[in-house]
Amino acid sequence: MLIGIDVGGTTTDAVLIRNGKVCSTAKVSTEPGNLMNSLLEALDAISRDVDPEQLERVVFSTTVITNLIAEGKTDRVALVLIPGPGINPASYTYPDSFFLKGAMDYRGREIHPLDEAEIRKTVGLIRESGFSRAAIINKFGQRNPFHELRIEEIFREIYPECKLELGHKVSGKLNFPRRIATAMLTSATRGHYIEFVEKIKKSLEERNIRAPVYILKADGGTLPVEKSIEFPVETIFSGPAASTIGALALTPEGQTSVVVDIGGTTTDLALILSGKPLMASKGAKLGGFLTHVRAFAVRSIAVGGDSVVRVKDSDTGTKQITIGPYRAGPAYCMGGKETTPTDALKFLGLIEVGNPESAGEAIKAMASALGKSETETASLIVDKVAQRIADAVNEMFFEWEQEPAYRVWEVLQEKEARPENVVGIGGGAKGLIAEIAKKLDAKPVIPEYAEVGNAIGAAVARPTLTLNLHIDTEQKVYSVAEEGEIVSLNTTNFGNFNKIRLDEAEAMAAELLRERAENFGISEYADEAEVVNSEVFNVVNGWYTTGRLFDVNMQIPAGLIPEWKRRENV
Amino acid sequence: MKLGLGRLRDVLKTGSGSGEGEKKQVEGKNKAEKEEMQTINEENKPEISERNEGNTMELRKAGLESKKEPLSPADRTGADKTGLIFFPAFDWAISPTHPEREERLLYTRDQIFEEGLMDLPEIAEYKPRLAEYRDIARVHFCVPDIKAQATTPHLIAAGSCLVLGDALMKAEVKNAFALIRPPGHHAMTVAHGNRGFCNINNEAILVEYLRKKYGIRRIAIVDTDVHHGDGTQEIFYNDPDVLFISFHQDGRTLYPGTGFINELGGPKALGRTINIPLPPGTPDEGILYVLDTLVLPILKDFKPELVLNSAGQDNHYTDPLANMRFSAQGYAKLNEKLAPDMAVLEGGYAIQSALPYVNTGIILAMAGLDYSCVREPDFKPGMFVQAARDRKTLEEVVAAQLENWKNRDRLVESEVAKHGDFYRRKKQIFYDTDMIQEFQEETIRMCPDCQGYKTIDSHAHRSGDDTRIFGVSIPIYACKNCQAEAREEYRKSLNHPEYEYVYLQDKKEDEYRAYNTRTKQEIAY
Ligand SMILES: [Zn+2]
Ligand SMILES: [Zn+2]
Ligand SMILES: [Zn+2]
Repeated sequence: MLIGIDVGGTTTDAVLIRNGKVCSTAKVSTEPGNLMNSLLEALDAISRDVDPEQLERVVFSTTVITNLIAEGKTDRVALVLIPGPGINPASYTYPDSFFLKGAMDYRGREIHPLDEAEIRKTVGLIRESGFSRAAIINKFGQRNPFHELRIEEIFREIYPECKLELGHKVSGKLNFPRRIATAMLTSATRGHYIEFVEKIKKSLEERNIRAPVYILKADGGTLPVEKSIEFPVETIFSGPAASTIGALALTPEGQTSVVVDIGGTTTDLALILSGKPLMASKGAKLGGFLTHVRAFAVRSIAVGGDSVVRVKDSDTGTKQITIGPYRAGPAYCMGGKETTPTDALKFLGLIEVGNPESAGEAIKAMASALGKSETETASLIVDKVAQRIADAVNEMFFEWEQEPAYRVWEVLQEKEARPENVVGIGGGAKGLIAEIAKKLDAKPVIPEYAEVGNAIGAAVARPTLTLNLHIDTEQKVYSVAEEGEIVSLNTTNFGNFNKIRLDEAEAMAAELLRERAENFGISEYADEAEVVNSEVFNVVNGWYTTGRLFDVNMQIPAGLIPEWKRRENV
Repeated sequence: MKLGLGRLRDVLKTGSGSGEGEKKQVEGKNKAEKEEMQTINEENKPEISERNEGNTMELRKAGLESKKEPLSPADRTGADKTGLIFFPAFDWAISPTHPEREERLLYTRDQIFEEGLMDLPEIAEYKPRLAEYRDIARVHFCVPDIKAQATTPHLIAAGSCLVLGDALMKAEVKNAFALIRPPGHHAMTVAHGNRGFCNINNEAILVEYLRKKYGIRRIAIVDTDVHHGDGTQEIFYNDPDVLFISFHQDGRTLYPGTGFINELGGPKALGRTINIPLPPGTPDEGILYVLDTLVLPILKDFKPELVLNSAGQDNHYTDPLANMRFSAQGYAKLNEKLAPDMAVLEGGYAIQSALPYVNTGIILAMAGLDYSCVREPDFKPGMFVQAARDRKTLEEVVAAQLENWKNRDRLVESEVAKHGDFYRRKKQIFYDTDMIQEFQEETIRMCPDCQGYKTIDSHAHRSGDDTRIFGVSIPIYACKNCQAEAREEYRKSLNHPEYEYVYLQDKKEDEYRAYNTRTKQEIAY
């Protein structure tokens, strides 16, 4: 049996899945100050009549890190930065930054040495200023971490208690400012996150649950909870990821869908293209900082079932309807004070919940202000909300089509997808899905269990993993961005480095990914790995080729565990 | 990527519903047109079978654009972003060890991505597209046809300039940088092959596109590549509305061996071509001196609607193909002072020691950001000082060219008086990459009402193969008489068997034709 729990902003949803089928569901309201309580409450509700021995897998998606950052409850971190030439580091807006001399270039060659005396002075200053955490980030540190490692040594020597984060261990991708932010947030949240994980482990022990426990990440993949301590920030935005995987699980394989989760004041959107959730081309934005955290391409728009509807005079003197962005409590037909899209839906008979008489009153008031019939008015409100959402969907498709291309084949590749389905996930404003689908010329889909689609997504998500291999045959080294070590090519089986072929580099990446998957305890998914991009460049000096640079990017993409897929085949 | 509002509005208009259907319809129509063969019989006219040709993908993408009335450029005072297309063409090379090869912009990619430049709110990154064949035909006579000269990477490089040109004209951005390859500034009107790594001229294609689509007229191109921008110069040599300024290492010491101060433009455009040969070894201070004392004052005087920087990076002190001493700081300062509306990458082959730093510097400078910390690993301020003798040479060049600029109208007057109805000149052009020797006779109609149409009789010799073509070019702002006369010229030439191909370039009508005298087939682009 599988358990999936999504701790959301207002409710915490849970499902129990047996033999690939939803067995039971639960919904409790989230206590903003105590996510752990809500999580355990949902867990207890769902597992009440279940023998803990029968549980095979428990997956949580939680906003704990998002909340910590939003509430400013993170730890202070001293940022030790080695920016080298480029943008003036004075333009960075990171707090508590200490800049050091030294520089690496794009090939990982040292272009300016460190100044040991300056480092010692800085470490002393960090200690005196009362920082107990520091993050050390070097521009191009992922191409050569020597400077970061040397500074770490000096810390160990004169301030050993300081907890350290090294940029090249946090992300191997290009983008120094994002690496700074990611390292900073990782360091700032790790302490609290460890406490959270300890509490979870203890609570599960108390309940005799010994099944493996996973955390859902923003890229829709699961990570064993012990392993997640290394990457706390990857657990952000797992809510939308859970909904998207849920939609994937509840719609036919291989289709293109828009996932719409209509809440009280906001609507979350995600895209599934030919059965693959669309990833954001760059990392997520968190606490105002751009990071390297992989996430689905999700969009939140400020319109929902409880958005306040008003009639206003336009510039041309005609009356106009405005929707949102505010909420003034629940819909009128649910006992609230203001007219909302929910009232319009109720008036038109598109939803079941709510009091029909009060919906009528709410629409009547609008209609007389607008000078239109009640049905016209209600339709206008629904149409306007649906249009806003459909416009946002079109924008998402357009942005995907317009993602930059750096190769001839990428420009020639025609990105033209239109949604086949509009999938409603979550409990809100179901009546709108059909209207949105009409505008997008797609099929409206409200799957069974849509209201706990997020928890289903958590329960059936499979692990994801990335591996970025970089080989420089001129310098006779290779590195795996995610591991942060520069390794001599002499340790590999390659004979003549200058004769390495791209397919051999890809095979090496696949083998390294297999090892990494084993290390993560997810080796059974290694076969799902795919090459995202691989390329080779000659290094030419004068008119001679003196080496080659390989880049192979592999991933185990987001998807469903076979236990769920099995059900589809039945 | 960040999108300008204008583009988003366009999308929302066409993203769903009727827009989509319209798009499909246009696509269908183009297909139909393509298959249509026309046979026209007229007096004095050979039998012609006509077909329309275009690269289908682009027809589809640009099919919605209206081709009738020019739009007008939007007011850019509110725009605050720098548009950027980074198209390194990682899967294209002239040959594996040629300077123009796959990884030319690899380290530049590493540097600008590691800096996080694409994340800056001041930068809007755009996606490249393919240029249409008619965009190429507006500038070039491609021999034998466009397909042979403009391969897919060329169409993308040119198309990238057009994307940014549109963004600029729609005021989505305040300025733009096309960080693209392959380059183009050595490509001339007639394209028999590759010259100086170039097949088609990106800047010229952009200029003619913007003039046609947005109705602008006066444009200045400042060529800052170390090599003389001989292709761009040739294309606009007789056009008084295009000011072409090139500084470059003295042609006596470097390819292509031209760009001397006496090359001032055709009779009716004298003084609108300004060449500034620089002594080898000229450092930042020399180039900035030329900029301050000559280029900027002339630009101020000319009042162009648009300034383009044909931005080569081979003036750098580490460039393997030239001998100058320009630095990343110098390049950044140059772009800050010149403040071009758009920069288009040309040459620059120190792919590790210069390009990552120079490009970072240019992007920051164009975006109005602090570039003071951008420097090459071995750079020390003051490491290059200009020799007194070289400084004196520059002062003389500047003085002479200022004099030419001041007297340009008088120069035109006296030169025009020397010629009758036509002005002819003979030229020899060498294609270094493809080893072609071309002989040309260019004829300009000395029209009192406009700049006059142009015809080119071009004879290309390559090993075992000779081609002779004839091309007629009508400027966009030509008078009606010139247009009629030129079209007649084209019609008459179709009967001349000494030409293998005859071309018509009617920019006024936006009509482009190529006729094969052997197969008697005419292609309309
Ligand atoms: Zn030049
Ligand atoms: Zn050049
Ligand atoms: Zn005329």
